[in-house]
Amino acid sequence: MSDNNDRNKMQVSNLNMYYGDFKALEDITIDFASCCITALIGPSGCGKSTLVRCLNRMNDLIEDSRVEGSITLDGEDINRPGYDVISLRRRVGMVFQRPNPFPKSIYENVAYGPRLVGIKDKEELDYIVEDSLKKAALWDEVKKNLNESGQRLSGGQQQRLCIARVIAVQPEVILFDEPCSAIDPISTQKIEDLMAELKKNYTMVIVTHNMQQAARVSDYTAFMLVEEQGEPGRIVEFGETNTMFTNPSDKRTENYITGRFG
Amino acid sequence: MDARKTDRMASAVFWFIGCIALGILAFIVVEILGRGLIKAFTPSFFAGKPRALSEGGGIGPMIVSTIYLVFLTMLISFPVSVGAAVYLAEFAREGRFTRFIRFCLDSLGTVPSIVFAIFGMTMFMFYLNWRTCLLAGALTMALLNLPVLLRSAEEALRLVPDTYREASMSLGADRWTTVKKVVLPTAMPGIITGTILPLGRIMGESAVVIFTVGVFVRAIPISPFSPAAPLAGYIWYVQSEAIVPDYRAIVNGGAAVLLVLIFLINFGTRRLAKYYSKRKSLGG
Repeated sequence: MSDNNDRNKMQVSNLNMYYGDFKALEDITIDFASCCITALIGPSGCGKSTLVRCLNRMNDLIEDSRVEGSITLDGEDINRPGYDVISLRRRVGMVFQRPNPFPKSIYENVAYGPRLVGIKDKEELDYIVEDSLKKAALWDEVKKNLNESGQRLSGGQQQRLCIARVIAVQPEVILFDEPCSAIDPISTQKIEDLMAELKKNYTMVIVTHNMQQAARVSDYTAFMLVEEQGEPGRIVEFGETNTMFTNPSDKRTENYITGRFG
Repeated sequence: MDARKTDRMASAVFWFIGCIALGILAFIVVEILGRGLIKAFTPSFFAGKPRALSEGGGIGPMIVSTIYLVFLTMLISFPVSVGAAVYLAEFAREGRFTRFIRFCLDSLGTVPSIVFAIFGMTMFMFYLNWRTCLLAGALTMALLNLPVLLRSAEEALRLVPDTYREASMSLGADRWTTVKKVVLPTAMPGIITGTILPLGRIMGESAVVIFTVGVFVRAIPISPFSPAAPLAGYIWYVQSEAIVPDYRAIVNGGAAVLLVLIFLINFGTRRLAKYYSKRKSLGG
């Protein structure tokens, strides 16, 4: 896959990641194909979230975290000194495990990102808010009460509001860090449908501990594992989702997806 | 004895202890209001001018002094303490420096008010050659209140879930924008509620007032540089120094007025906090 560079939106090669002295990830090499969904699966604590947080440098917020190796976005190293983290985070959006709308109105939640880049024009903001909510498949449910608190919505609606909030920033990549682990099955279904729809325009990465979900939504899957406690997380196998789930090449992957551990 | 019986016993005991606490409070309030409430609501008393020699003096300028002093102190200490709290909670890396700041704050918080009063007097009256005035009192009082205000503001900031900060940063906001647009508005009701205790303390503080603001004025103070006589100090003065024949009535009335004022400020602060928490969830 790595020979096909222009199809790859982001590329990670030989990445090591540390929290202080603790090595959390080792020798991670993986490509994220444009306009595809890549799933990261594996048991708890295998470094899936850590890896995804390297992609928009959210790990910067943790003291003493550092990386070795390279991560590129459109061929440019995002850890290069002087690289603009703010613009990186606008290009690589993130949806978190627990829905985390701000304690503001639905409208203000979605308008938050656009306001950050200085958009003040009411009409333009109105348009972005409506457009983003439509793309997040939430518009019809909330169009009559845009001024209500975003936190009064149900968990599933809140998560779609968070997706709308990300879309409003017009990112190129969207990272989903276990987006459905805190919401009910029907809402999960809606979010999976939404992801399939968004695939046309966005490159997406989803961390999930739910193998069925990975099989349903993703084009590519990476299986990660921590071999022994205290060791770093590594990628055991990475490939097309279909192949991975029907004919895994590594015994450990097979054991995991057939439910023998994890 | 079976578990249910023990449980019932325990709740009865704690109910009784709760009642004692409530009873003491009720007794104090009823006692003070009973002695002074009628006097407190007599217009010639709460709006009238004080007299130095004859009976029938009022406390109008003293009420204004009290509110003025509270306002001025808050104007100084609120921005400073919230600013420092933002630094400690949002920007500072935990280390020797922050531990040192906290140690200083805790030490400052346990210094008796009379020590601050002496410091204020030395600083403003002797060193800067001011006369006693509201501003000197407010500056001294701000020092006295800084530790409590700062700590409660810091606490309120720390209660804001990290998921809000993460969400904001992941959308491309820098730290300051995140603080300004998400963290502070979310913490504001808590920060405001945290001012209730310091507000009460400013109103009730007499040592600082006696040394830096003054204990007797005839006219309503206008300028921050004019001498004033907040109630707590005036009550002490009337009880121990004044020669007016009706000093007992003035002290009782003054105490009742002070109590009512504290209730009002407490109530007002809570309303303000509620207003903020409603507004923040609706946008803005």
